Amino acid sequence: MTNFVLQAKGLSRHYPGDGVPVRAVDTVDMAVETGEAVSVMGPSGCGKSTLLHLLGGLERPTSGEVWLGGQRVDRLSETGWARLRRRSVGFVFQAFHLVDELSAVENVELPALLIGASRKAARGRALGLLERLGVAGRAGHLPDRLSGGERQRVALARALVNEPLLVLADEPTGNLDSGATAQILRLFAGVHEAGQTLLLVTHDPRVAATADRLLTMRDGSIVEDVRLEGGLSRQALLAQVAGWEP
Amino acid sequence: MSMIVRLAWRNVRRRPAQAALLLLMLCLSTTLVSLGLAINETGREPWNRLHNSVNGFHVQAYAAYHTREQLELPRLPQPDPANAASADDQLAELAAQPGVVAVGGPWPILFAEGRVGGVALPIWVRVLDSQPAAVGRPLVISGRWLDDGDGVVVLEDGLASLLNVAPGDEVTLAGQRLRVRGSAMTTSIRRYPGEFPATIWTNRATAAHLRASGAVPLGAALELRLARPEDAAAFVAARAPTYPDTGSLMAWERARSRANGMEPYTLVLGIIATLLAGLTVATAAVLVTGRMAAQSRQIGALKAIGVTPRQALAVVLVEYLAVATVAGAIGIISGTLLSPLIGRESPILYGAPAAPPITWPRAVTAFAVAMAVVVVGSVHPALRGVRQSTVRALASGARPPRRASRAARFAAIAGIPLPVVLGLRSAMRRPGRTLANAIGLALGVAMVIVGLGASKATRDFLASQAMDEEEAVVRAANAMLIDQAVAILFIGAGLLVALAAVNAMIVAIFAARDAARNHAILRAVGATPRQTVISFVVAQLGAGLLGCAVGIPLGVLLYNSTVTGSAKDLPTMALPALTYVVVGLAVPLLYLMAIIVPAARLARRPAAGALTYE
Repeated sequence: MTNFVLQAKGLSRHYPGDGVPVRAVDTVDMAVETGEAVSVMGPSGCGKSTLLHLLGGLERPTSGEVWLGGQRVDRLSETGWARLRRRSVGFVFQAFHLVDELSAVENVELPALLIGASRKAARGRALGLLERLGVAGRAGHLPDRLSGGERQRVALARALVNEPLLVLADEPTGNLDSGATAQILRLFAGVHEAGQTLLLVTHDPRVAATADRLLTMRDGSIVEDVRLEGGLSRQALLAQVAGWEP
Repeated sequence: MSMIVRLAWRNVRRRPAQAALLLLMLCLSTTLVSLGLAINETGREPWNRLHNSVNGFHVQAYAAYHTREQLELPRLPQPDPANAASADDQLAELAAQPGVVAVGGPWPILFAEGRVGGVALPIWVRVLDSQPAAVGRPLVISGRWLDDGDGVVVLEDGLASLLNVAPGDEVTLAGQRLRVRGSAMTTSIRRYPGEFPATIWTNRATAAHLRASGAVPLGAALELRLARPEDAAAFVAARAPTYPDTGSLMAWERARSRANGMEPYTLVLGIIATLLAGLTVATAAVLVTGRMAAQSRQIGALKAIGVTPRQALAVVLVEYLAVATVAGAIGIISGTLLSPLIGRESPILYGAPAAPPITWPRAVTAFAVAMAVVVVGSVHPALRGVRQSTVRALASGARPPRRASRAARFAAIAGIPLPVVLGLRSAMRRPGRTLANAIGLALGVAMVIVGLGASKATRDFLASQAMDEEEAVVRAANAMLIDQAVAILFIGAGLLVALAAVNAMIVAIFAARDAARNHAILRAVGATPRQTVISFVVAQLGAGLLGCAVGIPLGVLLYNSTVTGSAKDLPTMALPALTYVVVGLAVPLLYLMAIIVPAARLARRPAAGALTYE
């Protein structure tokens, strides 16, 4: 029997438009296995980010179901979702979304403190992760003093600090230069190799190529679900999308 | 210029609630300033009418028959005839001065112990003829004027009204029982109890009997009309240095200004207007700062297309100065129209008070207050907003902090719950806004304390005094004035607290906008809505507590330096400790209620919306 960490069944999100509702996400069915890395690609406005927000409980679906770790979660209250996210979902955003008032290490330890870890334990885990991601030297700095790559590494550390079932990443390299992008890609690859389940929304084929599967979205629906097996198919993906215009 | 005006107008239309709020607060400030200035003039029109009808003086002189040393004795002796003759000579000399066109008097003034309406009191007896004088003939209000008969008097109308004495009643002066012929009014003296002791008029025949019964001649009064009334002050100023200090010389303008007895109102309104202006500065600063933060992209876009920082600043200033102009106009008109409503309680006015004409000094003051408030409140934050680099303005939302807050870090180390620590960090991030908010509340709290202190001190003082019959009557009359002044104080205090709460709500709304992103992040990493609300409330509550901590001592200080400073009889502030505790708890509670609305809205806001904003 397949062990799905995440499932979406008939998931839809509609917004009121001029007379006709805008179907940002339209009847999406998908499933992610434990330890699997899945990329979601598609043109701007196709609903990738909305799908990610629905799967992480940041947005409420109009209809459909979301299952996480075998539990139906789309009906949870805001508080229920918050408690679930603490332990089970880590988010990485294109705009990093670090708390400006907290230093790098304080940002990383925040989810650990929220699940009730002692300050000492939370600090230890946070410093360990920052060390692993190569930004331990910047632990005491506020986000404003960090480069884009450093901020994204801090954000990734924050997403991983409670060892969640699932990490959701929304354009994690969208605001980074090529050098920082390469660093982040290596880190995601390392996280994936360590057995972490990942769902990445991206425009960047290089990011998509690090995944096990590629979902392609158009007009709110998943139109293609491709398994990227071995270096060949990843190369093919990169070749296919060489002229990709984000 | 037209572009600046157009943009300013668009901004007003886009944020009508903000403009309306600022207008409301400015109107309250300017109205109170205008009211405080106009109140002293509400009695001017009735005074002028009375002054015309009695053919009032331009210069009034009084010459004492006693020496300084004699005046300080506990019981006045009969005057030395030589002194009395010298005083009469001084008055005769004044009557012969160039520019004098008519003379009233000199009229002898006697001092006698009396009993009027059953109340024992000291009396000044003015001795007039039965025939109307050329200057300063009292206007009969009830009954009729003196005739040449013996044993008759006319009471000053304030005295007759207060003690309910009517024509035909009897009064006692220096042991003599005298018949009241009527009551009259004049601008030569203020209405009782404004003028103290009370005044009774009698004729020369009756005065002779009073003197024989022990009434003491004090001196004589003379009233002059000049060819040019406007020269009265100069006339007095030229002669005052050589005039004996036991007597007095007064121009008609001075008599008019001291006839109102509106000083308590002027003081109270002045305090409220000042505090309100301070609060409005804080509100304007909060509005502009919040707007600058929210509009940084718009300003960035304007600058990117070539609008200079000076022009961007001008847009803000034009908008706010326009609001201030409207507020100044509304304030001067409403303050002037409201002034007779407060003036009507005064027992010493000569008839119904009337709204004074709008004068340039009052209009300029009201406009200056409104302009000063918006300039002080808006220039600094507006400048800071427009000086931000164009790229930063285009890219940014709220300005990130430059360093971690040590206080909040200490709170974290001290084991304070996480939402509270996050709230503290947020509050520390914008100390200026927290401070502006705290100042607003502190002013409101200070006013409440001043009101409570004035009310209690007045009651305590009146209760503690052993009053004779007359004092009881006078105080009863004055209590009405004092009660109204305290009521105005409380209305002002309530207004200030309410506006401070509105101010707090505006700050909270802007803070909620600022905090939306952070709260969305916190929720994305697992903080519950309740935790984010606690964090938000803590961030805002600091200002409430600070406002109380500063406002209570500020109120005590303000009371001791203004109220007791101007009313020497009142003791310094001595409120029960419980009062401070109640104020200290009630105000933060009220504040909490004001900020809970934006906090709850913030909690309901979907996290994704705030996160995708950038």
